[in-house]
Amino acid sequence: MTQAEIIERIQSILRDVLDLDDLAVSRATTAPTVDGWDSLAHINIIVAMEKDFGVRFALGELEDLKNVGDMVDLVLRKTGG
Amino acid sequence: MNEYTLADLSEGLAHSFTALVTEQMVDGFARLSGDVNPLHTDDAFAQALGHPGRVAHGLLVAGFFSTLVGLHLPGKHALLHGVDAQFHRPVYPGDTLTVSGEVSHVSAAARQVEIKAKITNQRGETVCKATLKVGLNA
Repeated sequence: MTQAEIIERIQSILRDVLDLDDLAVSRATTAPTVDGWDSLAHINIIVAMEKDFGVRFALGELEDLKNVGDMVDLVLRKTGG
Repeated sequence: MNEYTLADLSEGLAHSFTALVTEQMVDGFARLSGDVNPLHTDDAFAQALGHPGRVAHGLLVAGFFSTLVGLHLPGKHALLHGVDAQFHRPVYPGDTLTVSGEVSHVSAAARQVEIKAKITNQRGETVCKATLKVGLNA
């Protein structure tokens, strides 16, 4: 999987969880800048990512996530990409 | 009341219970919610639409998912995050419902489990299905 493919899939997940059909994200996108990305939405986003990418995150892996770019890099590490 | 923690939960773990829907429940839900639509309060109105009598509110029926999560699966340490329910058949006062749920996904990092839940009537017919998202406080 390429970074572009992962970003596209994460964007799709965010659009679905947040119900924002026109949301466009980049590596620099952060939760506070996206309408509705609160703590509950973040939980649902994490679970959706686990299902979509077929991975399981450890609690410690999520603490340092600051933006979508960090999420992309984490998925790359977990999937061996 | 069960007291499953996140560590206790795994895919496939299931629980169920039965509940009788009474006239008093339907009256009480109408009073509590303010939904006094005649479908729920007027037998003649409901019968004119082809029902044998008044129909229990859909969210009264789905309210039993709260019982499932809060008492049985996972029980004490539950925090309900979300309910995505579909109502397949009407429920009437006097119906006996079986409410069941099975853990379909466990996320340790998110401290959330997903439960596939179903409610059937005394004839074994599915009246409601739902996907439940439940957080764990322990």
